[in-house]
Amino acid sequence: MNHLIKAEFRRLLASRMWAGLLLAALLLGGGMMGAMALIGPENFDPPMPGLHTETGVRSILGILGYTAFVPAAAGTLAATSEYRHRTAAVTFLFAPRRWQVLAAKLATYGVAGLAYGLILAGTAAVALHTAAAVRGVPLGLPASTVLGLLARIGLAMVVYLLIGIGVGALLRNQVVALCVVIGYLYMGEALLMMIPGLNQLYPILPGGATAALTDFTYLADAMSQQLGSTTLQLLPPAAGALLLTAYALTASLIAVLVPMRRDIT
Amino acid sequence: MSGDRARIEVSHLTKRYGEVTAVRDLTFTVEPGLVTGFLGPNGAGKTTTMRMLTGLVSPTSGTATIGGRPYRRLPRPSRTVGAVFDASAFHPGHTARDHLRVYAAMGGYPDSRVTALLDLLGLAEAADRRTRGFSTGMRQRLNLATALLGDPRVLLLDEPSNGLDPEGMRWLRGFLRQLADQGRTVLVSSHVLSEIQQLVDDVIMIRRGELVAAGPWSRLAGPPAVLVTSPDADRLAATLQASRPDGDAPSVEVIQAGRLRVHGLDAPGVADLAAEHRLRVHELVTETSSLEQLFLHLTTDKAATP
Ligand SMILES: Nc1ncnc2c1ncn2[C@@H]1O[C@H](COP(=O)(O)OP(=O)(O)OP(=O)(O)O)[C@@H](O)[C@H]1O
Ligand SMILES: [Mg+2]
Repeated sequence: MNHLIKAEFRRLLASRMWAGLLLAALLLGGGMMGAMALIGPENFDPPMPGLHTETGVRSILGILGYTAFVPAAAGTLAATSEYRHRTAAVTFLFAPRRWQVLAAKLATYGVAGLAYGLILAGTAAVALHTAAAVRGVPLGLPASTVLGLLARIGLAMVVYLLIGIGVGALLRNQVVALCVVIGYLYMGEALLMMIPGLNQLYPILPGGATAALTDFTYLADAMSQQLGSTTLQLLPPAAGALLLTAYALTASLIAVLVPMRRDIT
Repeated sequence: MSGDRARIEVSHLTKRYGEVTAVRDLTFTVEPGLVTGFLGPNGAGKTTTMRMLTGLVSPTSGTATIGGRPYRRLPRPSRTVGAVFDASAFHPGHTARDHLRVYAAMGGYPDSRVTALLDLLGLAEAADRRTRGFSTGMRQRLNLATALLGDPRVLLLDEPSNGLDPEGMRWLRGFLRQLADQGRTVLVSSHVLSEIQQLVDDVIMIRRGELVAAGPWSRLAGPPAVLVTSPDADRLAATLQASRPDGDAPSVEVIQAGRLRVHGLDAPGVADLAAEHRLRVHELVTETSSLEQLFLHLTTDKAATP
């Protein structure tokens, strides 16, 4: 098992994937957060509550949570790349106990996801505070609370990366899997929210659970107001965290079990 | 090479994909120390059989063992078996060294093994280039290097000659011969008989998933024959028969007036003898062996293809 994890780390570090992830973490964490805070949510179109309000701070943190499709896409890429480049056969020749290969990938990418989340949350914290200081706006939440929320977002990134691996292992076709993952996370959930009846599911979907982590209700509220439907009640943060963990476990289980007896042709 | 010689044993192997039976009740053995050719027209079931041998595909029924064990039960499979299936099985962004280092880690082999194999396969100079830009020959060498990481007793190659130029083929022949001479079991598939003709000792021939012929090439191919057309056919026949003492002399068969089939002497031998006796030869052809005829029959047998 240690051999397999070592191999997966070598595989990850040899490709440009890790550099891409690092760049994405810096751009989305420091870059996007800094830009949003400098412009100020009150100047968005449509305007949102300013940074001096609690809702304002939670909202721009919540928006950061929506970038989770990036690590999800990375996980999907990692899981499907072996099929795309036809190395899966070689890998399973070296390690016929296929579940171990997938477990090693999950461990490796779990670490990579953690690093991604840390860098994303860390640079976002620095950018948010710096931008607020530059503009002379006091944040609507104490610094410790902001850090706590950012840490949750960072951890959510690990979950999404694992979900990506699960979907990738299930679908195998890289393009299809990427379309499904990005399409669903980027647009699918937002569309679901607009469908009366189905939108009641939102709180228990990954997006809703992630929003619950930071108690980011602004978007859901605005949407239900516009549609004139009943307000969506997000889960409490702890329940959201549990639910996300369940998603990660399910995805990991799929990743480990699905390739077991499938023919590699 | 680690441990003893290992024989490949396939017994009543069958694989069905829905309606299609890719391999049907196939039984054969592959001996160590020889290069064995696995022949069959496109779609005959060669790849499927080799993938079942290595646990990549699960058989519908029957067994396949290497050194007495199914692949998935080998303690450290890459030490026993090296296999190459796809002409290119690397991440295009990885260098040759990256690729080998990933699998060296997976099999638990030291990095020194990577360097040794890069040298052995003549890839030292290309070692740090991304595989994206590799030629077919370089890809084939990197595939072989990967398969040989564990110094395996058994080597399985699926259509290794695909896309190789004559020089690459010559190199491959020498390389595989060397591996077999070390006592390894080498199984090489091909759908082109002429490509592996000079390479193999034994042959296993299949069609539509079923065994057609198996055994040593020399026995299956039968003795080579030479067809001669000559206006001096009668004198040539007599000369041929008198060229060596009785039991050892070439046998001559008169096909029709002016045409002979000669067994026991090759084309240059016949030509030299004719020249020596100032006999005219208008045509001289080495007849395709019976194995070649059988294979040709298999590949062109339209009525038999579904
Ligand atoms: N995954 C699959 N699903 C359905 N049918 C398959 C699958 N793989 C192979 N087959 C069928 O099984 C038969 C044998 O295929 P296989 O690839 O083993 O032949 P082959 O001898 O390797 O041919 P080639 O010389 O073209 O490589 C073919 O009819 C093929 O269409
Ligand atoms: Mg094939």
